[in-house]
Amino acid sequence: MARSELTSTRRKSKKRVRIAQSRVVPRTIAPALKPGAPSDFELMKGIQAGDADALSQLYDRYNGILKALILRVIHNEAEADDLLQEIFMEIWNQAKNFSEQKGKPLGWMVTLARRRAIDGLRKKQAYARAEERLQNETEQQPDAWVHNATEEEIVLSDTRVLIRKVIMSLPPAQQQAIDLAFFRGMSQREIAAKTNTPLGTVKTRLELGLKKIYDGLKDLRDEL
Amino acid sequence: MNFEQFQNQSRLYVIGALEPEEIDEFEKARKKFGKKAEDFITKCYALHEAFALSLRPAKSSDAIKERLMAMLKAKKQS
Repeated sequence: MARSELTSTRRKSKKRVRIAQSRVVPRTIAPALKPGAPSDFELMKGIQAGDADALSQLYDRYNGILKALILRVIHNEAEADDLLQEIFMEIWNQAKNFSEQKGKPLGWMVTLARRRAIDGLRKKQAYARAEERLQNETEQQPDAWVHNATEEEIVLSDTRVLIRKVIMSLPPAQQQAIDLAFFRGMSQREIAAKTNTPLGTVKTRLELGLKKIYDGLKDLRDEL
Repeated sequence: MNFEQFQNQSRLYVIGALEPEEIDEFEKARKKFGKKAEDFITKCYALHEAFALSLRPAKSSDAIKERLMAMLKAKKQS
């Protein structure tokens, strides 16, 4: 559908275009829940109250996403499974520290899982091996997000399509810098050394890229 | 540091990409901007969620959940 069909013919300000676009993009960032299913917040409250079934439901809902995140960091199926189990135990143990004021449960779990995965990567001394694999991947395909997105057999959710669209709108160098920082836990200096790029350029790439993603997700921010 | 610069730094901060020498100045600005700063940092954590959701979910072993629930049961009994 052409943009003009979505907007009022009276005024075509940028604001109105943005509102019109928001009608055609998915509004749900998290996987859709079955009618009557408890919300993530309700499950977190259950976990805080010691309800193992709540953790079981949260596991069913998000183990795939968290496993994908862990795998992206450590690139080892068996280690990823072990870490996934440890992370859900940590979710159980640390649930008391979760607060609605500090965001949504999925964001909290992803933050926790990412930290554990990056720690795990370093502790298990798999870093060198993963680095080698990453090097090979980087040489073959500078941008892993693009790589994933070209797999035609993948049926993506609306949310994933939208988020990837935002990420893929970035120049490859910005995507790569963010990928190395977020999924590898690399500092700006490490990224600069790895990509043979001046430190100031890395900083600029990260700042610009993250701002574009942040702004691009604006329509979904309430849901996020 | 003005608030726009703080916003740029916040996005780096939440993904752990601030360099050690940038942290002090960031923390000073964080105190200076107070609640406005905290609210913005909270919003920035949504980037974590977005990056995770950009990935294709991966299948995990069925045994993982069984082990997890067994561990919980044992923990509750102890």
